Amino acid sequence: MAKAVESSGELGTTSPRPLMRDLKAVGKKFMHVLYPRKSNTLLRDWDLWGPLILCVTLALMLQRSSVDSEQDGGPQFAEVFVIIWFGAVTITVNSKLLGGNISFFQSLCVLGYCILPLTVAMLVCRLVLLAEQGPINFMVRLFVVIVMFAWSIVASTAFLADSQPPNRKALAIYPVFLFYFVISWMILTFTPQ
Amino acid sequence: MKQALVDDTEDVSLDFGSEEELAFPKAKIRHPLATFFHLFFRVSATVTYVCCDWFSRSFGGCFVTVLLLLSCDFWSVKNVTGSLLVGLRWRNQIDEDGKSHWIFEARKVSPHRPTATEAEVRIFWLSLIICPVIWIVFFFGTLFSLKLKWLALVTAGISLQAANLYGYVLCKMGGERDISKVTAGFLSHTVLPTASPRDFQKPGPAGLEMHKH
Repeated sequence: MAKAVESSGELGTTSPRPLMRDLKAVGKKFMHVLYPRKSNTLLRDWDLWGPLILCVTLALMLQRSSVDSEQDGGPQFAEVFVIIWFGAVTITVNSKLLGGNISFFQSLCVLGYCILPLTVAMLVCRLVLLAEQGPINFMVRLFVVIVMFAWSIVASTAFLADSQPPNRKALAIYPVFLFYFVISWMILTFTPQ
Repeated sequence: MKQALVDDTEDVSLDFGSEEELAFPKAKIRHPLATFFHLFFRVSATVTYVCCDWFSRSFGGCFVTVLLLLSCDFWSVKNVTGSLLVGLRWRNQIDEDGKSHWIFEARKVSPHRPTATEAEVRIFWLSLIICPVIWIVFFFGTLFSLKLKWLALVTAGISLQAANLYGYVLCKMGGERDISKVTAGFLSHTVLPTASPRDFQKPGPAGLEMHKH
């Protein structure tokens, strides 16, 4: 799986890593999620900054504004956070147990980045909710969420499916489906009070 | 404290006689900005977490602020201050056939590059070790006081801080497999500097400052 390769002293320089390079890498991965195609970028150069940003954004948007300071959005905020990270870790453990050859952090990276379409859906839903409530409002949101949900599934399977043995693909993809379904459900049923 | 160290222009060799130290400017802190940021993010994350009730009632705001500070700290310690202050770097690399390797690098000590001073190294390692311990204390604090909504944040804090600690300890260990030897070496050189006979030949404010800690 992972082994420590020590090169003490071989490299004369351990120079600081520039910030812009990391930011560009994150941006590039977002692009890869929006236009999924067979590519190794998400897998080869993984990072967890994108998932963190998306998770925090989603959790902030899913907060209910409440008058009562006791329920100041606290439980909902931490809930979203825990669901996303715990869910991603569970899926990763599941895929490793099924014999996948993808590393722990690579899997977390892919699952986290593929939340991007659903975050966009959340944004759209919040804007739509500013308009008049009603069945049309709900239909629009339902449509947006379904499209983005499908987009997330397609993006993540494009990256994850290859890492599984052929007879286990469905077993590995099913939890991913469930994961994004739960997030989509949270987005769809969100109503600001 | 830091200001006093930076202003100090006494002719003091801090590691008691190493030749290469004499070749370079004798500042106490050669990378003041890196040292400052190394400490700033960790300390302000801890302080914000402790004092968040005084600043604002918003749970989400406090959560995001502390998380942001922890992330900045993680990035800066992993990518910048590690290589500047102690010449170590750790990273993960995925090669062509998809296998993941963790790479731990240590910069070779060379006479042509100014290495960091003892003070910087001490600051680096002490803060690297003390902060995860503080967050573990917070963890038990939230667990036993049943403020469970903070548990997610504290867990994130512990993971981010401990990841850097673990990475750098593995870098430092290099080929050394025995953690007790590394700990003993660390304690003798960094936490409890032993006095050598040459110590008494060069007394100065710097010497006094170090033994005060």
